[in-house]
Amino acid sequence: MNNKKHPSVLNKLVGVLDKVEKPSRYIGNEYNSVKKDAPLSVCLVFPDLYDVGMSHFGVKILYDIVNDLDFAKCERSYLPWPDMQREMKDNSIPLYSYESYTPLDHFDVVGFTLQYEMSYTNVLRALNLANIPLRSADRGEDSPIVIAGGPCTFNPSPIEDFIDAFLIGDGEEGIVEMLEAIRSGKDRSDKLRKLSNIEGVYVPSHNNRVRKRVVHDLKRSWAPTRQILPYTEIVHDRGVVEIMRGCTNGCRFCQAGMIYRPVRERSNDEILDISFETIKQTGYEELSLLSLSSADHSQIKDIVSSLREIPYTSLSIPSTRANSLTVEIAKAIGSVRKSGITIAPEAGTQRLRNVINKGISEEDIISAAKLAIENGWRRIKLYFMIGLPTETDDDVRGIGHLIDRIKRMGFYDLSATIGVFVPKAHTPFQFESQIMPDEAMRRFKLLNWTNKFAKLNFTDPHKALIEGILSRGGKELSYVIEEAEKRDLIFADWDEFFNAQRWMDLFKEYNVDIDHIMGKKSFKDEFPWDFVDSGISKGFLWAEYQRSLRGDLTVDCRNGCTGCGVCPNFGVENIIHGVRE
Amino acid sequence: MKYLFFYKRYGLLRFLSNHETMRMIERILRRTGMNLKMTEGFHQRLKLSFGQALPTGIIDRAGLFLISTDEEIGQEFIGKINSLSPHGFEVYRICKVSEKFELGRSVNGYVFSLIFLEEPNIPEGWKIEKYGKIWKTSFFVAFNSSSPRTNAYGQYLTLRESVVFKETFNDESACCG
Repeated sequence: MNNKKHPSVLNKLVGVLDKVEKPSRYIGNEYNSVKKDAPLSVCLVFPDLYDVGMSHFGVKILYDIVNDLDFAKCERSYLPWPDMQREMKDNSIPLYSYESYTPLDHFDVVGFTLQYEMSYTNVLRALNLANIPLRSADRGEDSPIVIAGGPCTFNPSPIEDFIDAFLIGDGEEGIVEMLEAIRSGKDRSDKLRKLSNIEGVYVPSHNNRVRKRVVHDLKRSWAPTRQILPYTEIVHDRGVVEIMRGCTNGCRFCQAGMIYRPVRERSNDEILDISFETIKQTGYEELSLLSLSSADHSQIKDIVSSLREIPYTSLSIPSTRANSLTVEIAKAIGSVRKSGITIAPEAGTQRLRNVINKGISEEDIISAAKLAIENGWRRIKLYFMIGLPTETDDDVRGIGHLIDRIKRMGFYDLSATIGVFVPKAHTPFQFESQIMPDEAMRRFKLLNWTNKFAKLNFTDPHKALIEGILSRGGKELSYVIEEAEKRDLIFADWDEFFNAQRWMDLFKEYNVDIDHIMGKKSFKDEFPWDFVDSGISKGFLWAEYQRSLRGDLTVDCRNGCTGCGVCPNFGVENIIHGVRE
Repeated sequence: MKYLFFYKRYGLLRFLSNHETMRMIERILRRTGMNLKMTEGFHQRLKLSFGQALPTGIIDRAGLFLISTDEEIGQEFIGKINSLSPHGFEVYRICKVSEKFELGRSVNGYVFSLIFLEEPNIPEGWKIEKYGKIWKTSFFVAFNSSSPRTNAYGQYLTLRESVVFKETFNDESACCG
């Protein structure tokens, strides 16, 4: 099936690239991309624009792992922007891979990463552009096996009619076992049967339950250092080193903090080694230390002070913890003062921060801001959510008071992003309801007075609602998603394409019970994702939810086990290299 | 020491914008590990200057960039830099130039060619030649005047063929490649 040459795609491509915006995002052939021949071919697709997809780290990991196998090769593809989609349609160019310009339907395996629910319609558009039947049931022996991974697979139900097999959890080991199963399977149904026996794999036509896949430790060999260099300027154009996976804070709203347990740190020495190798292989001038909460790494100060010594290379840390350590690190990496410092108080009052178990106090936030001022920062960005469980109007006003207080400390530029909370699957707040757009708009208005001295950026509450429905719904949504793609509701995360009314009309036409999906639930209620075992029991999530309603805090599990169940369930433990101060 | 690099950019890489080409070259140079002079200031960047910018879509056989380094480099560096470059980018000549060399003062202009797949309708006085099934015309464009656009004359391809230096260049430079 594979190994055919496809000069036709490349020839036609050259003819259309003069007509589209930023043609360099479609040309492939980037430095460090891997061209090889192997019996089994895999194409990993990030279902969004190249500029976004190339910034994603998970694909980089799997790309290298698969290409290191003797029997398999891995190529990549992305969803072209609508101008390019039109040209491809008009010129009969199918969606192709960026290494060998092979049409996707010629691959043995096509894999999607599902990072956000709003990309579901993009997945279907990509399948359409690739001439692959949308529904698993319609695929035959000639069709690729379509697989998917990423955080959204923790509720696979809304999209499971379109995916042959999901890999839920850490992908490093599971992907290899999946490819071995596909390689050895006699025919399509034998391949699917073999896939369904792999730990962490959910084959909708075979499995009733699935337990997430966990790797015990991050192996050195899994760290991708020959990272592919884009020509186009992409969202995050820099070398990436994953310093830690998982997070121990236990914030109750955070899905990543729940589903990526336990914490697995890389050691200081290994991080240095990976960093040097990445810079050598890429020529990148900037290195990003990736994790869910990098300031929590037990050796973060040593790591930062060693990496600062690399000449002509700047460091960045996507950090969100609003405490002094964050500022100290920002200072240590010499991050550019004018670009501002970012902290995320999440909620406006201490009462509500306790409800969500954010684990920081008002004083932490204020002293972080004070330290930032003392060290020369004059711009600050703050992140908040409205619609958190138990929120009152006073809590919302509290956001305004906090913004006011921080602004008065001497920042000449303060911007605050205020999002609408979406209660996600597998979190203690899965039992909670999401506020509807009208109510969100009313609460936003309570903050209008801060507009005079701060830049407020409210995220679209309709977008949050659609995201909530797609993340909390069940199998019944497959027809909605299919129809949404037909109506061109793709690139839904991009403001220029987002049309709330057309989504709402669609939900109405398909009788989607929004109140039921988004409403409050009790312990006994069933969720569409109950069959996916994240290792954390529903009982623990319920208990955490009850504690939240009482305002009780739960400790960071580095400082004592909180009994979520992940470690005993999987026979793993937090891997922490240093002693925290 | 100052070195002038001559490069070609062809194939799919003709679709790079000028800015994208510059960033690609900067990263290729960083991968070579050579000790390059940096700009002063907090956010240090490579001290690197380029020939005239090209619009996206043009094949370049006359790309130029200038670097400063304390390392002695020669023929073997051409192989090294090309082994660290993506397909479609190729350095073919390196010249050691004097410390006071500046691109703007040394380059007179460039020769461009247009390739047509059918007999073109071009301004009077242009010389057009037929090679097998294609037609080709070439002309000189002075430094810092505008380059021909890819859709200007209905041409199939646009090439920047060569650079034309002012007379002093050859006397003052030692080249390899």
